Amino acid sequence: MGSTLYGARLSRPLLASVTTPTLFATALTLGAAALTLGGCGGAATSDDALAKVKSAGVLRWGADVQGGAPYIYEDADHEGALKGFEVDLAEALATELGVKAEFVQNDWSALVPSLERGTFDIAMNGLEVTPARSGRVLFTRPYYVFASRLMARRDDPSITADLASVKGKRVGTLTNSFTADQLLASGIEPVYYEGTDEPYQDLVAGRIDAVFHDDIIAGIYGEHRPQLRVVGDFADGFYAIATRKEDRSLHDAVDEALEKLIQTGKLEEILKKEKIWNDRQLGLTAWSDADQRRLLGEATVNTLRWHHVVTFIQAAGVTLVLSVLAMAIAIPLGLFLAVCRLYGNAVVSRLAEAYVELYRGTPVLLQLYVIYYGLADVIKLDAFTAAVIGLGMNYAAYEAEVYRAGIQAVPRGQMEAALSLGMPTPLGLRRVVLPQGFRLALPSVTNDFIALLKDSSLVSVITVVELTKRMTIVAVDVRSWLIPGALCAALYFIMSYPLSLYARRLEARLARS
Amino acid sequence: MIEVAALVKSYGPRVVLDRVSVAFQPGQVVSLIGPSGGGKSTLLRCLNGLEGFDGGEISVLGEKLVPGGARVNARALLAVRRKVGMVFQQWNLFAHRTAIGNIIEAPVHVKGMAVAEATERAHALLKSVGLGHRADAYPSEMSGGEQQRVAIARALAMEPAALLLDEPTSALDPERVGEVLDVLTALAKGGLTMLVVTHEMRFAREVSDRVLVLHGGQVIEDGPPAEVIDRPQHERTRAFLGLGRAAR
Repeated sequence: MGSTLYGARLSRPLLASVTTPTLFATALTLGAAALTLGGCGGAATSDDALAKVKSAGVLRWGADVQGGAPYIYEDADHEGALKGFEVDLAEALATELGVKAEFVQNDWSALVPSLERGTFDIAMNGLEVTPARSGRVLFTRPYYVFASRLMARRDDPSITADLASVKGKRVGTLTNSFTADQLLASGIEPVYYEGTDEPYQDLVAGRIDAVFHDDIIAGIYGEHRPQLRVVGDFADGFYAIATRKEDRSLHDAVDEALEKLIQTGKLEEILKKEKIWNDRQLGLTAWSDADQRRLLGEATVNTLRWHHVVTFIQAAGVTLVLSVLAMAIAIPLGLFLAVCRLYGNAVVSRLAEAYVELYRGTPVLLQLYVIYYGLADVIKLDAFTAAVIGLGMNYAAYEAEVYRAGIQAVPRGQMEAALSLGMPTPLGLRRVVLPQGFRLALPSVTNDFIALLKDSSLVSVITVVELTKRMTIVAVDVRSWLIPGALCAALYFIMSYPLSLYARRLEARLARS
Repeated sequence: MIEVAALVKSYGPRVVLDRVSVAFQPGQVVSLIGPSGGGKSTLLRCLNGLEGFDGGEISVLGEKLVPGGARVNARALLAVRRKVGMVFQQWNLFAHRTAIGNIIEAPVHVKGMAVAEATERAHALLKSVGLGHRADAYPSEMSGGEQQRVAIARALAMEPAALLLDEPTSALDPERVGEVLDVLTALAKGGLTMLVVTHEMRFAREVSDRVLVLHGGQVIEDGPPAEVIDRPQHERTRAFLGLGRAAR
């Protein structure tokens, strides 16, 4: 838990901010790529992907350290070094190809789009072969066979080795994963997580009823918890290495190298090192072309349907309600902080200042993690409440500064007039100074609300599915970022543009008076 | 009704009021005149606690104010301010309220008067300062003279025993000064106790019963206008009132 909490989480804000703006770039690249492919027709075998890798002398492979052990994780004994069976496998594959392996950190849920836009040559990070993915990338033969494992609390006997028993319950899993697809196929809407450890934490805490995950993830993050039990294993799934569709030569070379590693027992050795070797892997030794066809043959093409649009609108509703409630906390709390800072005694004023500096000086993502996971032992908030409180408390810091500026812009004579009429200071504040200060601050408050609408997408890290998260889920499902991205953008715009107009009108009115 | 005893006030090393002792009687209209920096406004603002002071004592309608500022005098100050109104040089009307809103604010929220009653009285007050037609105007929509008359009505709405006026016409356009002075003259004739810091010598001479001259933080002259303005005893007063007079 310690290692994933550290390395992975802290790197996320950066990644998140990098991925979002590139959505459209990705979408455009994709569109272009699709056109090119359509023009050529059929698989090109004369590509130079392998030649490029060989001449560069490095095989760049994409993975997410947040996935953690046993895939890829930071070596506790050697600072900056990485461990994990995929790290070893990447090196072995690179050696087979006569090059060096170079790791590229990438958000797990965006591995495929990043692969497509050329951030790295291959994606290898517990990437399950799913119908949606096999339509989009080239998969090698599998290098690991896993089972989807259902876990529940020991004290909850209602969950049995039948997915029907978790229908209508809250089941946690990783966004856009094979297990998520299985749940959806069984008519269960999962609770989406972005890390591997968090769903088990929440299961222990009672925030969810079950976790459905790859067996090796369950083995490392779930099974050591005494409160939890393994309910059962379901369909087998396969991890395979992905290359771009047009990089057939690289795909063939990596596939061949992988087969060699399997046949020589090198893969077994690598898997045993992380203690994840089991009898399921025996099937890999005799993996035939027929097996591979069967695995990939299920490739289906999902298209954006009306029900997707409906889920988008619902998610936009979540975003809006979340933002409104968070602002409903931020405005009065911010006002309180500003008043404390300006009119409180030395101690109160310092405390208010400390609050503002603390909340402004640390990432909201970290604050959300602390409120939701960090404080879970003290106070068990559900995800939505934690999101509202987290965003509200964060924005209160910004509102406090906006009001402070507004209050300070109210001429001193206003308070003197109030005092001279016999008002005590608090009454003068409430009746005279604050209403005017708030009015001065209103354009900034409106702008902050627009910013909050967009910042609210961060709460997906604590399992709240709002607009951006819904877009990510659907985009992977329908294998296109272009239309879901545009739809998502349009919905944000519809929510924020009227507010922009309102803010502009307020500013104009203030400028006149 | 107001007694000031050995009042001392300084800003750092600069002494603004230097052991001022003076008393004001009910019904008096007193003009405080003198050069800028002489301590007139500071003395006025000490009387209702907008400024604290460093030595001496003030008694207003039986309430004692002592050195230490608002914290020490909190209770006494509330009582003083409810009974003694103030009018400022810059009007200080509540910018977010209409003329009527400004006037009813304190009766409703300080005295607890019903809004309907306060509004009715406010209309009467506005009419008495000649602004019956401006009830719904916001401060930003009124001239300085109109705002100052509303500010006077606002102070009167608390039915004060005395009114403190801090240069009530200094910030007005010259053609607007008359309308405010007319209102003040009518109030003086009505018997309201007023302490006015002013540079309007005509007002000081014709309306007030008594003129104080402050200079260097001290009261250097105190008497009826006929004496102080027409036969000043102090060299400084002569200088302040104009070279012609001083030369005579």
